[in-house]
Amino acid sequence: MHGSATGWRRLTALGAVVVLAAAACGTSGSSGGKTVSVIGTWGGDEEKAFLAMVKPWEDSTGNKVKYTGTRDINAVLTTGVASGVLPDLAGLPGPGQMAEYAAAGALKPLDGVLDLAKYKSETASALVDLGTVDGKVVGVFIKAAVKGLIWYNPSLRDYSSDAPATWDDLKAAATANQGNAGAIWCVGLESGSASGWPGTDWVEDFVLRQAGPDFYNAWWQGKQAWTSPEIKAAFQAFGDVIASSAGGANTVLTTAFQEGGDGLFTNPPQCEFHHQASFITGLGKFKGAVAGTDYNFFPFPDINPAYTGAVEGAGDLFGMFNDTEAAKSLMKYLVTAEAQDIWVKLGGALSANKNATSYPDDIAKRSAELLSTAKIFVFDASDLMPSAMNAAFWTAVVDYTKDPSKLDAILVSLDAVQKDAYAQ
Amino acid sequence: MTTIGRTQSPAPVAQGPSRLARGIRRVALHASVIGLMVFWLIPTIGLLVNSFRSADAVSSSGWWNGLLPPTALSLDNYASVIGQSGIVDAFVNSLFITIPATVIPIMVAAFAAYAFSWMNFPGRNILFVAFVGLLVVPLQTTLIPILRLFATLGINGQFLAVWLAHTGYGLPFAVYLLRNFMGSLPREVFESAAIDGASPVVSFIRLALPMSIPAIAALAIFQFLFVWNDLLVALTYIGAANSENLPLTVAVSNLVSSLGDGWQLLGAAAFLSMALPLAVFFALQRYFVRGITGGAVKG
Repeated sequence: MHGSATGWRRLTALGAVVVLAAAACGTSGSSGGKTVSVIGTWGGDEEKAFLAMVKPWEDSTGNKVKYTGTRDINAVLTTGVASGVLPDLAGLPGPGQMAEYAAAGALKPLDGVLDLAKYKSETASALVDLGTVDGKVVGVFIKAAVKGLIWYNPSLRDYSSDAPATWDDLKAAATANQGNAGAIWCVGLESGSASGWPGTDWVEDFVLRQAGPDFYNAWWQGKQAWTSPEIKAAFQAFGDVIASSAGGANTVLTTAFQEGGDGLFTNPPQCEFHHQASFITGLGKFKGAVAGTDYNFFPFPDINPAYTGAVEGAGDLFGMFNDTEAAKSLMKYLVTAEAQDIWVKLGGALSANKNATSYPDDIAKRSAELLSTAKIFVFDASDLMPSAMNAAFWTAVVDYTKDPSKLDAILVSLDAVQKDAYAQ
Repeated sequence: MTTIGRTQSPAPVAQGPSRLARGIRRVALHASVIGLMVFWLIPTIGLLVNSFRSADAVSSSGWWNGLLPPTALSLDNYASVIGQSGIVDAFVNSLFITIPATVIPIMVAAFAAYAFSWMNFPGRNILFVAFVGLLVVPLQTTLIPILRLFATLGINGQFLAVWLAHTGYGLPFAVYLLRNFMGSLPREVFESAAIDGASPVVSFIRLALPMSIPAIAALAIFQFLFVWNDLLVALTYIGAANSENLPLTVAVSNLVSSLGDGWQLLGAAAFLSMALPLAVFFALQRYFVRGITGGAVKG
């Protein structure tokens, strides 16, 4: 009898604890200000920078931001849109998904939320257009990057006053100034399941400058075949780069993109140049090096003179799912130059806002200027493609690097993927 | 051989070589077991060594170089993981999530297992088959409907949501395991208890539960590890609504930026998050082994 009574008492006590704990959680949510839930892909230093950016808003409004970072944002938002449980604000995986969420009515239009005239005057029109669906702004670029910058070590040869104007100039300069550098290029394609994407930037840069922005845009929209001569020429130009890269194809395939440019800093340097977006300054050996003295960049040189001054950019889209007053106020604040200044000051990011100018160094300032003054601006093509197409493009770059002789077969298989990917 | 050995008088001379042969066989067995174990552990050892090395060193040479002189091992990675804001909160959240999400399903499963094995009610077998059949339902397919349900109930983002979810996901296996164990307990015990006037509740608490402790402990380890290591369920049911309640797994995955910066911290974070499950396992492993053999001997 005694034993059974204790047993019951134990079970009841456990049950009571569970119920009490549940009740405690239920009541803990209420405090003074409102909370705004935000989901983004930023972690580590990026998360800290984002939280620093929203701090002044929290202080002035008394509201609070609850930030969740995950790189599975696509899964979280897809589940969220289907079930109706969504964060107030969220980073969006890409323009394609943004359009889907907007069509489903999940993403709220920002026309009445932002100071639209001011937003449009401060932001490159191409970026404004990419965030617009059916004439309404639903996504803003909260963070931007310039793709295809050529990084070099000034101690080998300083190009700051006479950057190569054309691709041929660059090749000539590379041969003339190789000195004791091991090779011309450093390339790193490894990036986990996204391995190959740095190579897609290469191919895109060649397509843009050899075939022009109209072809480029038709290409990512699925209106140009992968087997067309323009794409083939771009892959081949990328193949030349691999052939003149430090360590050859094996090194290229096994080097993480974060460390892709580390060869610039060895003594003697393994290579003369590294091709990567503006965010490389926050990664690998760039992170500890001094901008301007240890490394510098020049923009990707022109190839076809008809398309002089073309720039490729990328960025993180941001949108609003619940139009509470607090969420609206945060959204409005985030795109202002005042907020963006905090973000860019901490380094590693560019702002889509032309009036955010508190860049920590000259290099970041110059890359931001490239973004805002580009004569021809296009967005990262692979980011704009349907995700199946994008993934196939990554794999194609890896396969081509492994065995350049298979280029024709690779392009034919990309055409097959294109047929399905755009049909959905 | 053995019959001959038994009929012969057990002379010490005859036992000599057979003991030697047995000894050699045992050494060979032990050597191969240890060899397999080391082979199995290599990745973990590599991760452990790398967790003490700098990002530069990890990316420029293999982990075994960390053991060769000059050794440059440091606790920097561990220090910066622990120094992250919110990592301690996340650890506490993980405990808040894991302990109830282990206790609740096991409690419910024990009741159910007892009913399935020792109580007669109509549709018992069909119900049991349906229950076990749920084992094949991938939990990912339930995310959207359950999220919608939780939203209607207004418990999204609270610990309760994750407890209920893990209870549901853990129950089919827990019931299956405990039902098999309880079903193998001797019938006479329950019959004589019933003759002595014990109600089903009494014989559950005083007989079935104490005798099933090894199986319950084994199950507790499984469920604890599953919940402790879970990222998806917590992220889905808590993530969108209330980041303050997120567990350690989410905090650890967030040490890395969207561009992969900070990856060197993951090794250290992995070992910190492994520490508690390891302690739980070593504390319960006595039962764990007994849970396996206990069932085997009884059959």
